[in-house]
This record gives sequence, C-alpha cells and structure tokens, in this order.
Amino acid sequence: MNMVLHELKAYRKSTILWTCTLVAVVVLLLSMFPTFARDADQFKSLLKTMPEAVLKAVGVQIETITTILGFYAYVFMYISLCGAIQAMNLGTSILSKEMREKTADFLLTKPVTRTQIVTSKLLAAFISLLITNVIYLAAATIMAMVVKNGDFEMSKLMMISVTLFFIQLIFMALGFFVSVLVLKIKSVLPISLGTVFAFFIIGMLGATTGDGAIRYFTPFKYFDPAYIMQHASYEGPFLWLGLGIVVAAIAISYVVYRKRDIHAV
Amino acid sequence: MHVIEVNNLTKTYGSARGITNLSFQVEQGEIFGFIGPNGAGKSTTIRTLLGLIYPTSGSAKIFGKDCIQYGPEIKKEIGYLPSEVFYYDNMKVKDLLQYSASFYKKDCRKRIAELAGIMDLDLNKKIDDLSLGNKKKVGIVQGLLHEPKLIILDEPTSGLDPLMQQRFFDLLEAENKRGATILFSSHILSEVQRLCDRVAIIKEGKLIQLEKISTLQENNYKRFKLETKAPVSPDYFQLSGVNELKVEGTTVSFLYKGNVNAMMSKIAAIDLANILVEEPDLEEIFMHYYEKED
Repeated sequence: MNMVLHELKAYRKSTILWTCTLVAVVVLLLSMFPTFARDADQFKSLLKTMPEAVLKAVGVQIETITTILGFYAYVFMYISLCGAIQAMNLGTSILSKEMREKTADFLLTKPVTRTQIVTSKLLAAFISLLITNVIYLAAATIMAMVVKNGDFEMSKLMMISVTLFFIQLIFMALGFFVSVLVLKIKSVLPISLGTVFAFFIIGMLGATTGDGAIRYFTPFKYFDPAYIMQHASYEGPFLWLGLGIVVAAIAISYVVYRKRDIHAV
Repeated sequence: MHVIEVNNLTKTYGSARGITNLSFQVEQGEIFGFIGPNGAGKSTTIRTLLGLIYPTSGSAKIFGKDCIQYGPEIKKEIGYLPSEVFYYDNMKVKDLLQYSASFYKKDCRKRIAELAGIMDLDLNKKIDDLSLGNKKKVGIVQGLLHEPKLIILDEPTSGLDPLMQQRFFDLLEAENKRGATILFSSHILSEVQRLCDRVAIIKEGKLIQLEKISTLQENNYKRFKLETKAPVSPDYFQLSGVNELKVEGTTVSFLYKGNVNAMMSKIAAIDLANILVEEPDLEEIFMHYYEKED
C-alpha cells in the first residue's frame, strides 16, 4: 500500500492537470452548443455543402448534430483524444520513470517482489484515471444539463462518457507494454503522442473510407457513440477486444518485467 | 553459517562485461572486502546477489537461502548502498527516508534521527537541492535505517569528504560490532585495508585472490620515486623485494616489498633532491598478483 500511495503522489500533479484540461475542453466545446442549436436548420444546410468524406472523418452526423447527445457524441472524439494522450503518458511513465530517474535500484532492493511493484504502480495509475473520469463525468453531465435544448436520455450520455475510461485503460495498458519492451525510454511524450495520433488518424481514415475492418485497429473506434445512441448498449465484440488488449498487454508486461535484468546506470 | 555463499556464479552480457565462475563465502560477522578495478565485475556480483539481475549459471545464497527464489524475504535484512545514488528528486529527505522505512515492518524513526545526526544530514531539505556528498549521506541513512543483518556497499565513499568518510567507517564498525556482516566493494585499497577482515580480489570477472587483510599487508608494496642530485647506478637498488626498477639519469622509481628500514638506510646514503613514497595503486598490485599466479 505504501507504494500505491507514493505513486499516487507522484502522479498527483499530472492527474490534476489532465483532469482540468479535460473538464475545460468539454465545458468549452459544449458551451458552443446553444449557438449551433439556435440556427439548427441553417447549420445543417451549411454542413450539407461539405464533402461527405470530410464529415465522416471528423465524425459529424448531420441528423443528430443539433441535439445535445449528437453534439456531445461529435465533440467526444476530441475529448477521447486528449484522454488517450493522458493515459498513454501515464502508462509509459510507470516503469520508464524509474529507469530514467535511476531509482529502480531503490525499489528493487526493498523486500518486495517485482510483481508487487508492478501491481502497485498499475493500481495507482488505475486510480488516477478513475479520479479523472469521475470528475470529467460530473463536469460533462452538469454542462449538458446547462446547455440542453430539450430532454435527452441521461443514461446514454453516461454510457458515451464512460467509454473515455475504457479508451484510457486501453492506452494505459499499451503504454505500459511499450515501456516494458523498450529498455530505455529517454522521453515519454514522443512515444505517447506518436502512438495516440497514429491510432487517431487510422480512425479518421477508417471512417472516411467506410471500411468496417479498420475499426478493429484503433481503440478510438471501439466504442461508436452513434451505436450507443441508437441501441443504448456497447458493441460486444469491441468491448471484448478492448478488454483482451488490456489483459494481454498487462500480462505480457508482468512476465517480461519479472525476468528483466535491471542494469546499473 | 555463511551469510553469503556464491557458487560458480556466471553472468555474461553479450560479450563485454560479466563474471565467470565466481565462488566465495562471507562468514557471519565479518567485514568482507571486494576489490577490483572498474569494470571487474564487482557491481555485477552485487546486483546478482540483490536479484536485480539474474545469473546466467551458478547460484548465490544469502542467509542460506537462494537469493533469487527468496529475494523479498532476504532483502528484509539487507541494507544496500549503491555506488551512485539517485532518489526521487521532488521529495524531501525526510519523506524519502520514511518511504524507505515503510517497507520494513518496524519503527525506524529513532534510528533515522540517530543516523542523520551522525552523518550531519538535514532532513528537511529537498533531495533536488543536495550536493553529491549529501545525497550519498541520504543513501547511507537509507541503507542502515532498518538495522540490517547484512550491509552491502558498492563503492560507498565516493563524494564523501574525509571527515564524513571517517564517521561513516566508524558507523560501519559499530554496525559490525552489533553483529552485522558487511560486504564492502571498492577500488580503493586503503579503505579496504583499513576496514576489512578478508578481501576478495577480482579482475575481469574472475576471482584472483581471496586473502586475509593481514596476509595482504605483509605483501605490502610501496612505490618509491626518487630524484637524486647525482646520477645513480642502476645496480645500486638491485636488491630483493625491488620490482619494476626504472633509472633514468637522476630519477629512480621502483616498487618495494620488504623491510622498510633496510630500504630507508639505503636511500639515506645517497644525496636526494626529492623523494616520494606512496601506496601503489591497485592496478600495480594486481600486476604483481598476476605475475605470481602465472
């Protein structure tokens, strides 16, 4: 437990910063909604003049964009992008930080197993993300209530918002996996930004070409807000795929890290 | 009981560094020196004992238990001070030491205060702001705060001023009296000579010699460098115990092992401009071990 607390403290600043960022982004984007909603017809006809490929790439669905849920589903794409960067940074830092700051010797010569170390660190990262999501969810819900132009199904808004947590868990696991495989990571940001944007662009391409298979290759498309709005449920195969990725990445990381030689600096 | 028992320990990293078939034992209550030049494999051995790296073959036991299999259990009673100390920068010394103490199921507060007092360490400073020597002190306190039964030190004195070095050695001797076994790795012979009961000399990953310090001291070499006012004949210093004699005009240098009085009277007979008598560095000692071994 001492390690979990220590790690939480270490992530405290970045967790607060990212939470504030996500809240700020959702507040800012949703505060634009009343403007769009007021001139709904005009806005829709404007959108219709744009090429369909562009609309698809940025995730606009003309039929629903002027309802609060539809608008939220649209802006959520950018929120999940931010969230993914946070999670990937966190995941990649978990172990590479110890190597970079050369503190691995400190922990590993204490009477704890490597499994305990990894578990504590993962748990701390999980808690950090959980805190971020609880606060984000509250902010998004309140903001939606404030700007709504009619009744909407709160449960669907919640369901969409919770996918932020799912996406973050996937990216955290990926980041963690990368940090275990790559021996010495000098700087976390290029790796996490690169990976996240690569997946994001894959997602955009997939949406443009309408190629369903591409969805499997990017976590950003595992939880389709349009589907959630229609069916009030998640798509089973993608939910399992996401879970599978998280479990596999973390399991392999455990195995590799337990066998790893920790070299002198 | 052997506190440390190393059996045919081998660790290879690709090709470069590593250790080969290393075997030695450290007895309960002794201060065991572990010396060799940089890159000899001292740290590799220590890191294997601590389970930071895994042996390629062979095994090591601490307190009679395999150091990989029973790692966490063994480490409760080990204090380790690495050669280079890096700690979480944005923490205060006090917080770091408390974090370190939280891994051991005992109350270490009193001991932390004691050790900090002895080492003259300010507990309220941020680790960021500490000099290298002060960081080293944090490392020392961190390694000793749980009153370990085995203390492993990897070149512990670098960065400490002579006064602190002295206090640190006194501290180690006190710990040793209390019953702690100490494994002291160093490349500085004089430190090891001062503190240790026995010493293992290691070079290029192999154990060259395992001796009592008293034996080693009998083989104590001194390096002499003389500047004479008039050129001396090379034959003048050709006596037993003299090695590596070099005479170039008025400068003479050699290694000497034997009765110093005999040598001093010999030197007193010539007219000197300057004289320097020093401990040969470890490399030179090693060279002699090699020559004897071959």
